Amino acid sequence: MAGEIHLEMKNVTLGFGNLVALSDVSLQLRRGEILGVIGPNGAGKTCLLNCISGFYKPQKGQVLYQNKDLLKIPAHTIAQFGISRTFQNVELYTGLSSLDNLLAARHIHIQYGLLSALFHFGASMREEVKHRRAIEDIVKLLEIEDIRDHIVGSLPYGLRKRVELGRALVQEPEILLLDEPMAGMNVEEKEDMARFIIDINELKGTSVMLIEHDMGVVMDITHRIAVLDFGNKIAEGTPEEIKENPVVINAYLGKA
Amino acid sequence: MESRKQDLDTIPKLLQDRAFKYGHQQIAMRKKDYGIWNEYAWQDVYEHVKDIAYGLLSLGFEKGDKITIIGDNDPEWFWAEWAAQSLGGAAVGVYIDCIPSEVKYYIEHSDSTFVFARDQEQVDKILEIHDQLPKLRKVIYWDPRGLWFYDTSKAVDIKILEDLGQKYAKDHPDLFEKYLSQGKEDDIAVFCYTSGTTGLPKGAMLSHRNLLYAVGVLEQYNRFLPMENYLSYISPAWLTEQILGLCGGVLIPLVLHFPEKPETVQVDIRDIAPHIIFYGARLWESLASTIQVKITDSTPLKIFFYNLALRISHKKLEAREKGEKIGFLLEIFHRLADFTVFRSLRDRIGFTKNKVGYTAGAAISPDMMRLFHAIGINIKNLYGTTEASLISLHRDDDIRYETIGVPFEGCEVKISAEGEILVKSGGVFAGYYKNPEETAKVLKDGYYHTRDAGLLDRGHLVYLDRVDEMIELSDGKKFSPQYTEIRLRFSPYVRDVMVFGGEDKPFVSAILNIDYDNVGKWAERRKMTYTTYIDLSQKREVRELLKEIVENVNSVLPEHARIKAFVSLHKEFDADEAELTRTRKLKRKPIEERYKEILAGIYEEKESIKVESQVAYRDGRVGTVRTEIIVNYLN
Repeated sequence: MAGEIHLEMKNVTLGFGNLVALSDVSLQLRRGEILGVIGPNGAGKTCLLNCISGFYKPQKGQVLYQNKDLLKIPAHTIAQFGISRTFQNVELYTGLSSLDNLLAARHIHIQYGLLSALFHFGASMREEVKHRRAIEDIVKLLEIEDIRDHIVGSLPYGLRKRVELGRALVQEPEILLLDEPMAGMNVEEKEDMARFIIDINELKGTSVMLIEHDMGVVMDITHRIAVLDFGNKIAEGTPEEIKENPVVINAYLGKA
Repeated sequence: MESRKQDLDTIPKLLQDRAFKYGHQQIAMRKKDYGIWNEYAWQDVYEHVKDIAYGLLSLGFEKGDKITIIGDNDPEWFWAEWAAQSLGGAAVGVYIDCIPSEVKYYIEHSDSTFVFARDQEQVDKILEIHDQLPKLRKVIYWDPRGLWFYDTSKAVDIKILEDLGQKYAKDHPDLFEKYLSQGKEDDIAVFCYTSGTTGLPKGAMLSHRNLLYAVGVLEQYNRFLPMENYLSYISPAWLTEQILGLCGGVLIPLVLHFPEKPETVQVDIRDIAPHIIFYGARLWESLASTIQVKITDSTPLKIFFYNLALRISHKKLEAREKGEKIGFLLEIFHRLADFTVFRSLRDRIGFTKNKVGYTAGAAISPDMMRLFHAIGINIKNLYGTTEASLISLHRDDDIRYETIGVPFEGCEVKISAEGEILVKSGGVFAGYYKNPEETAKVLKDGYYHTRDAGLLDRGHLVYLDRVDEMIELSDGKKFSPQYTEIRLRFSPYVRDVMVFGGEDKPFVSAILNIDYDNVGKWAERRKMTYTTYIDLSQKREVRELLKEIVENVNSVLPEHARIKAFVSLHKEFDADEAELTRTRKLKRKPIEERYKEILAGIYEEKESIKVESQVAYRDGRVGTVRTEIIVNYLN
């Protein structure tokens, strides 16, 4: 399954004034793999994700996906092409319930128009049921049945992160971009999250790009890892190769 | 309850009868899944049982074989168990939080040839020990999440088993019905392993006759109507759920409801509004403390009306307990209180249609019984043991909170010279599996020896404690630590407590566990800051709070049984550290052994004690916590 290139970044360079955030970075995400992106703080990991999801526009380079250059597509339409993401700091509607947050993210799949939504029966009702079912699948997958009707603002951090992952998933993405999904979690919550990511990857074949600081998790669940340091990609390979790589040890992992 | 024809003498025969009678017309089960209630008609249930039974036969199941089931309450558990029973086999229920070595013991000791396990977590446990279990043929799971790529030679999805069954059925028509009709009422239906407060668990064998008897006697004190709603929540590893859910479900019959997850039960129970509820004592305790905490968090106006309504209700109960006539005005006020306050309170907790709530397992404090009756919940003590099934229950018109009810008709109860409760009835079990010595020890002249200390008082049975747990103090007077513990646990701020005393101890003392959630909220309301459980447990204000609670309980105890000193422990008692049984009963000896330094400190009347304890983390690492806990003395 893994092998075919799903998304490719070619020679991407991003700068803010004189500050170079990414310099000539090339990276391939293969179909069906979990790709870890690691590196010290300020290495440009989140910038990389932001380039793909269209938040930043790099000065140079291409992001190729489905024979299109994503850099030429408006940011708000990227989700429709099957790329979803989560944020380092949770970005949810805190005043709505978990369920409503997930429903809101389904809007890209909703077919009916304003008029038929006004008269809530027939086709629009059938569609609504279909969407609810799709969301319930995700609710079940992420084991958040018990917080379905809880207001997101009242949930503990670990659960909010889970709802946010859910929101990315209900868009039924082909590629999932995760920005530190386990930051600030305890061991048990991390274990759960790691299991969800593996489940999503195995069950739906979703390609995952994962930024994470917890080396244990990254080494355990990713198929390949790319290492960034000061905007440069300094290494790429399987977890075993990365663990042995002297350049990476020097820059990031540290000596044992 | 529906009347039972004499020849319907096993649970599967009853199931078959209900399926013929109700077919697709009546609902037998509802399971919440994907946020909605999915229904199974009687015919559907019967078909599933049949498919699973054929599937088992195709994999080599033989009459008399045993299956082990480990999981939450789900329709699949019930189907699998009924399937095994249809083929003349028996089921062994296991709690989901058992560790692999415990699971191995149950599977091995019961000679189970098949295991039904709910999900990946449970399947992994069994695959870990699969090689050490030569008799085990297959593991069958019903929640396939994460198991998609597992080796199917060892573990298969229940749907695959059912497919196998349907194919096998084509070549062997009527085989299932033949097996089913061969069943006899004295066939063993279930093994219930005793929770093991002492030594290795023993497998008590219960026959169809035992289970049918138990449901029958319940009917003496409660009229069950067919198709009443029942919430299946207590684990079927416990005999009580075997009686009410698995046997009563087809005998009465009931509509069985399965919550989405154990965590969602508070929401699910409101959807169902069950007529009959069975909770363990701990669950009632946690319900009571939830009510109390929610009320305290409410607005002053609501608190005022709640307290007023409670006073009125208590007054009426008091009058009824004393046998006085209830005044016209009191009756009016009570109805008003019930209509305005308690009706909506009951709705909040899913008790709108509830006719009866049973409690068993551990004794529940009279104060709490009174509270539930005051808010209009008909809670009753049900007394039974794994080996003798049900023994006594409160009658509707004769509830005395301090007793465990009146022995059922046909259940002979006597008290031995030693003060032990002895029972002879149709519910007494067939013996322990592969353990005739232990069986002979507890079954003498047809009487089952419960090892429970009790007495008969005006027709009511009073439970004191385990015979072995009654403690003689240094002055020769006897007291029951459990009795004191229950009263302390009634406080929403006390999660667990163990009381110590005896010939070798100059006075009675206690180790308390605070309830982290409730004490945490209490502290927040007072704008107190705290970091961890350890920190919170030793706060001066918290210790003062506990002191007040202990003093309150002391005031109703005789002088010799009063607690003179206590500590608030830096951690909770934990089943994973062998301090509690899986049903959350205290394991007294291990606790006393583990905290002997703390106890020594208390009796040396030290001000504080340094403690160091090993904690096991989830990933298997072991760490050490060092802290200082303060001893609190009472006058």
